[in-house]
Amino acid sequence: MINVYEQVNQNKFKSGLIISLFIVFISLAVYFISRSFGYGNEYIYFALIISFFMSGASYFWGDKIVVGLNNAKPVNRQEFFDFYTVTENLSIANGIPVPKIYVIDSPAMNAFATGRDPDHALICATTGLLQKLNRTELEAVVAHELSHIKNYDIRLMMLVSVLVGSLTILINSITRMSFFGGRSRNKENNNPIIAIIGLILIIFSPIIAKLIQLAISRRREFLADASGVKLTRQPQGLISALEKISTDHNKLETASTATASLYISNPFKGNKVASLFSTHPPIENRIAALKEML
Amino acid sequence: MIYLIILVVIIALYIFGFFNKLKTTQVRIKASIQEIGNQLKRQANLIPNLVDSVKGYMTHEKGIFNQLTDARKSIDQAVKTNDPKALDKSQDLINKVLGSIKVVMESNPEIKASNLVSNLMNELRDTADKLMYSRRTLIDLTADYNTAISTIPGLWIAPLMGFKEEKGLATPTNTDQLEVSEDETKNPKVNLN
Repeated sequence: MINVYEQVNQNKFKSGLIISLFIVFISLAVYFISRSFGYGNEYIYFALIISFFMSGASYFWGDKIVVGLNNAKPVNRQEFFDFYTVTENLSIANGIPVPKIYVIDSPAMNAFATGRDPDHALICATTGLLQKLNRTELEAVVAHELSHIKNYDIRLMMLVSVLVGSLTILINSITRMSFFGGRSRNKENNNPIIAIIGLILIIFSPIIAKLIQLAISRRREFLADASGVKLTRQPQGLISALEKISTDHNKLETASTATASLYISNPFKGNKVASLFSTHPPIENRIAALKEML
Repeated sequence: MIYLIILVVIIALYIFGFFNKLKTTQVRIKASIQEIGNQLKRQANLIPNLVDSVKGYMTHEKGIFNQLTDARKSIDQAVKTNDPKALDKSQDLINKVLGSIKVVMESNPEIKASNLVSNLMNELRDTADKLMYSRRTLIDLTADYNTAISTIPGLWIAPLMGFKEEKGLATPTNTDQLEVSEDETKNPKVNLN
C-alpha cells in the first residue's frame, strides 16, 4: 500500500532522473557530433534557434491551433453542468485559475489539456467522454489533465522536443554539408576515436533521443495520474474511467501531435507498435499503479 | 581519522532521515484526520438540504396527483349519471389540474418540477464540493508547513524565526468517527418489512 504523497514523490524523482539522463545524453551527442566533424558552436545555436521556432508555434498558439483543428466549442454552464463545475472545483483544489473549457463533438472518448503555464491553459473533452463517464470518473479525468497543467508538463515536453529537434537539425545540416564537400576549418580534430563516436552518434542518437523523450512522456503520465488522485483522493474513479476509455472502440480522428497537447489516453492507439514507442504507458500498468493506492 | 568522521556523518544523516520520515508521517496522519472532518462537515451541510428539497417535491407531487385523482373520479361520476352540471364541475376540476402541470397525452405524464428539483440538488452538491475542495487546500498547505517546521533542519531554525505549528481544519479527535465500536464490526441485517 502506498499513499498518494509517496506515489507523487516517487514519480517526481523518477522523472527527474530521466530528464537528467536526457540532458546529459543530448549534450554529449551534440558535443561529439559537432567536434568530430570539426564544427564549432555556431551550428549548435543555429539548430537550437530553428528548432525553437518550429516548436514555438505550437507552444504559444497551441491552444488556438487545437481548437481550430478539432472544431472545439467553448462550454456553457447549463449545457455541460458537470464538466464545467468539476473543472471549477478541481482548479480550486489545485490552486490554479480555471482554464478555458472546450468540448469536441465526437463519439471517441478522450480529453486533453494544453497551455504553457496555468495562466494560459485550456482543457477540452469529447462529448463521447462526457456522456459515458459519471461525475466521479469525470473528476478523475479532469484532475489528471489539470495536474498536467500544474506540473508544467506541456512546457517540459516542448523543451524536450526542441532539444530533440535541434539534435536532428544539427545532424541533418552536418551530414548534408559533409556530403557536399564543405569540410572543417579547424584541422585539430583528426582524432579517429572521436570520428567513430561521432559517426555512431549520427546514426543512433536521433532514435535514442526520441526513445528517451517518449520515456519522459510516459513517466509524466504516471505523475499526472498520481497528482490527480492526490487531488480527488479517489483512485477508484480514475481506475473505472481508464477501464471505460480502454474498452471504447471509437478513435479521435482529429488528434495530432502538432498541437503539443497532453491526452488522457493515447489517441493513436490503433498502432500496435512496441510500447517503447508509445507516449502513454499501457493502461494495465496505469491501473496497476492506481490499485496500489487503494 | 577521516574515515571515522565520514562514518559518523553517514550515521547522523541516516538518523536524521529516519526522524524526518516519521515526523512527516505524523503530520500526514493529523492531516488525514482533518480530511475525515472535512467530509463529515460536507455531509452535515449537504444531506439536510437535499432531504428538504426531496420532501418539498414529494408534497408538491402528492398535491398534483391528488387533484388528478379527484378530477378523474368526478368525471367517472358525471359520465355515469349523465348530468350536465356534474360534467361542468368536473371540467373545472380538470382545468385547475392542467393549470398547475403540463401533461403529455401519453401514458407517462411529464412533470416539469422534477427537473427543477434535480437541478437544485445538483447545485447544492456542487457548492458543497467547492467548500470541501477549499478546505482540502487548507489541510494540505497546513500539512506541508507543519512538515517543514518539524523535520530537520527546519526543526532547529524555525523556532528562531518564530514559526509555530498551524491548526489547519481543527477537528475533534474524541468522537466516535475515529473509533470502531463492537456493534459496528457485526454484519448488518437488512429487513425491508
